[in-house]
Amino acid sequence: MAKKQLMLLASLMLVLSVFLAACTGKDDKDGATEKEPSKDPGKTEEVEGEEEEPAEDPNAGLDFPLEVSNTADPMEDGEMTIAMVTDTPFEGTLSRVFYKGTFDAEIMSYFDEGLLATDGDYLITNDGAAEYEISEDNKTITIKIKDGVNWQDGEPVKASDLLYSYQILGHPDYTGTRYTYMIENVEGMPAYHNGEAKDISGITVSEDDKEISITYTEATPSLLSGIWTVPSPRHHYGDIMTGEVTMEQLVESDKIRATPIGFGPYKVAKIVPGESVLYERFDGYWRGKPALKELVLKVVSSASILEALKKGDIDLASVPADQYLKAKDIDNVELLAKVDLAYTYIGFKLGKWDDEKKESVTDPNAKLADKRVRQAMWYAMDNETIGKELYHGLRFPATSLIIPVFAGFHNADIETPSYDPEKAKALLDEAGFVDTNGDGIREDAEGNEFVLNFASMSGGETAEPIAQFYIQNWADVGIKVQLTDGRLHEFNSFYDRVEADDPDIDIYQGAWGTGSDPDPSGLYGRTAAFNYTRYTSEKNDELLAAGTSEKAFDTEYRKDIYNQWQELMADEVPVAPTVYRYALTAASKRVVNYSIDPNTDLWLYEMGVSE
Amino acid sequence: MLKFILRRTLLMIPQLILLSIIIFMLAKMMPGDALTGAFQGNPDVSLEQLEKLREKAGLNDPWYQQYGRWLGNAVQGDFGKSYVHQQKVTSLLAGKVENTVILSLFTLIVTYLIALPLGIIAGRFTDSWADKAIVTYNYFAFATPLFVFALLMMWFFAFVLGWLPYGSSVDIKLESGTWDYFVSRAKHLVLPVLSGSLLATFSTIQYLRNDIIDQKLRDYVKTARAKGVPEAKVYTRHILRNSLLPIAAFLGFEITGLIGGSVFIESIFSYPGLGYLFIQSISTRDFTVVTALVMISGTAVIVGTMLSDIILSIVDPRIRIE
Repeated sequence: MAKKQLMLLASLMLVLSVFLAACTGKDDKDGATEKEPSKDPGKTEEVEGEEEEPAEDPNAGLDFPLEVSNTADPMEDGEMTIAMVTDTPFEGTLSRVFYKGTFDAEIMSYFDEGLLATDGDYLITNDGAAEYEISEDNKTITIKIKDGVNWQDGEPVKASDLLYSYQILGHPDYTGTRYTYMIENVEGMPAYHNGEAKDISGITVSEDDKEISITYTEATPSLLSGIWTVPSPRHHYGDIMTGEVTMEQLVESDKIRATPIGFGPYKVAKIVPGESVLYERFDGYWRGKPALKELVLKVVSSASILEALKKGDIDLASVPADQYLKAKDIDNVELLAKVDLAYTYIGFKLGKWDDEKKESVTDPNAKLADKRVRQAMWYAMDNETIGKELYHGLRFPATSLIIPVFAGFHNADIETPSYDPEKAKALLDEAGFVDTNGDGIREDAEGNEFVLNFASMSGGETAEPIAQFYIQNWADVGIKVQLTDGRLHEFNSFYDRVEADDPDIDIYQGAWGTGSDPDPSGLYGRTAAFNYTRYTSEKNDELLAAGTSEKAFDTEYRKDIYNQWQELMADEVPVAPTVYRYALTAASKRVVNYSIDPNTDLWLYEMGVSE
Repeated sequence: MLKFILRRTLLMIPQLILLSIIIFMLAKMMPGDALTGAFQGNPDVSLEQLEKLREKAGLNDPWYQQYGRWLGNAVQGDFGKSYVHQQKVTSLLAGKVENTVILSLFTLIVTYLIALPLGIIAGRFTDSWADKAIVTYNYFAFATPLFVFALLMMWFFAFVLGWLPYGSSVDIKLESGTWDYFVSRAKHLVLPVLSGSLLATFSTIQYLRNDIIDQKLRDYVKTARAKGVPEAKVYTRHILRNSLLPIAAFLGFEITGLIGGSVFIESIFSYPGLGYLFIQSISTRDFTVVTALVMISGTAVIVGTMLSDIILSIVDPRIRIE
């Protein structure tokens, strides 16, 4: 009797485990990729041969379109459902000056926009709701709002509304994270920020309230990609300058949480907090009549997104990279992809943060002070295989710290290390790191034991295999690397320790989002807090300063400077970029006029659905 | 009775304070704070600015100072401000509590609706085919992880059959207050409630069944039978009353389990309640929200056990405290 029950139970569990495998999107292929890194030279060459392929073309190997293939006309009064794929609710702070989460940004993108449009290089253009002019000395920008640009409640968009954004961002009571260099750089902003001045002296608004000019303390080409152009509706929010509302009241108010307005193509009709947003067409949109009558944006958990796409419930969704293999087999959906504004890298700890001077100090006696060792470690990493096997091609080897998205500045021609274990060994030999006691592990130049502690973040199924793969890669050239504390680290604890220059971390794997400005000084400058490797050099300071100097308004000059910087980084290797990544979007085949190309001629209001 | 309830309520206060100290300490020991993640992809903020923000938010003070501040405010009903959501914790939670209470309440009701009859049938007709089926189901419920089962339910009822929605709490296009709106809310509740309650039944069924079998052999039951009390009455009047005692005692734990389970259920079904918020707040180190949420579930546990004691003293006169 008992035996029979047991059998029944066992068979039930078996059935269940089959479902489990089907449901959680677990991919057996992922588990099977702890492939022995090739030790025989024949195989190495093969991999090398493949790497000759121009990795510069971001779409090499994988052919993803940037635009939907359906070319039919959008239907009259169509409706669309867009998914935000996340397992946590969105915050719903729907104001550009206050928001924190990326999903809030996505929600805003449908009802809100900047006054100036941007092009494929994320530089401002005159195609938006306003036009701009930059003065002779490159210090002042004048923005003129076009006629017929109105807020969704019918009020015209005024120049003083843009001023209001600056007044909020710089306000002494402001607690958000958007008081950035470009805001601080506005003339008179520091005085206003410290409460010493009542107004921002560098910003003036014209008599008719349609023109605003902003003067900067220092001229920098970052202006072209980093200027703040999203106005805040003063009449809707209430005015913090006159004391009508306080900053605290404004952040908490329903004006930005339940009934936000913008001047974009769709207006918010209803919000179910943390869950979904309903938009209606905004008939007074300045570009013309938006194609859709209604638009729903809703949270869908990562566990159900693929089934929801298959069912046809969802028209547009970003797909997590680990679900790519399943997503590409869904019939009614096509996948679009572009290279993300991010890169992954291995950082080499080279010094300490000096809290007194507020700058990084490089230690000439650091464990990894010899750049040949760092170069060798880069040569030893087989990123091609990581990208192909663990990410199914959705990640590909990185070459430079200026990502290919910045087509004008990314230099594909510089000599950067690619997978070549022999070269790595030669470099290590040259540096004097040889195996003196015959245990197969290299000792350092003085003959001391050489073991590196490697910190890597946990998260996702691929984190552990990747870390182990690199460790094996380095072992192949004779460098002993072990995980710090023998395990992976949770995100917060990882960055806490990396930031504090924990002596137990010699190398670490991190990733950066670059933002839309190619200027790398926020990550690699001497005084940059995020320069976690603590690498500094005169040459580096010089180039970074030149890249944002007034002279750099001349694109050719700036290009040349950044070329030199990329070369310097590839030679000095404070960090070794490992992979660039694709961001995947799934679009239902009924979606028309939609593109994820930043260079596209299509505007959001044209996006629609066919019959 | 009143004295008993009053005493238990007063006892809750030091319990809650102790709980809050432990939680606060642990929360502060977690690496990172709400600002650690804020710079990712935003390298344009200067270090001084970041430090200023930390200072403003009081994140640099030692934990006991922060705790003192927090307690002072909490007594006045102010649980601080969520850093991530940038609003008062109380108003943030107000919107979510309702969802979770509805979900938990229905799950609890459905759990008992399923478990009580099944437990009684299994106990009364021991070794019949019905009993065997119920016991098998019970093993299944005991062994199956909640998130796996929830996914299975979703896959089958929402995608294969297409009968029920797969996520969120309501169809946004419906106007709130209308009949359709309530129907939509009810429909959205079915899957989360069923997923939760079908698995939550096991302890109740198991205890009920065992106790009925145990009571069946007691002398008072034999006496009743010997006196010629009809069989149905033996069960409803005599056995059941005694067998329900442990179930009543279990109610408190049942409530605790529901809150724990809501973390999974809510994030799988994108149902915006407290559990859903809890995960987000932990990963973003939104301490004020984490503390408030743990306090809520802690309070629920304490109230739940108190409730159990009260129910127990009502149904069992032997342990009534005068």
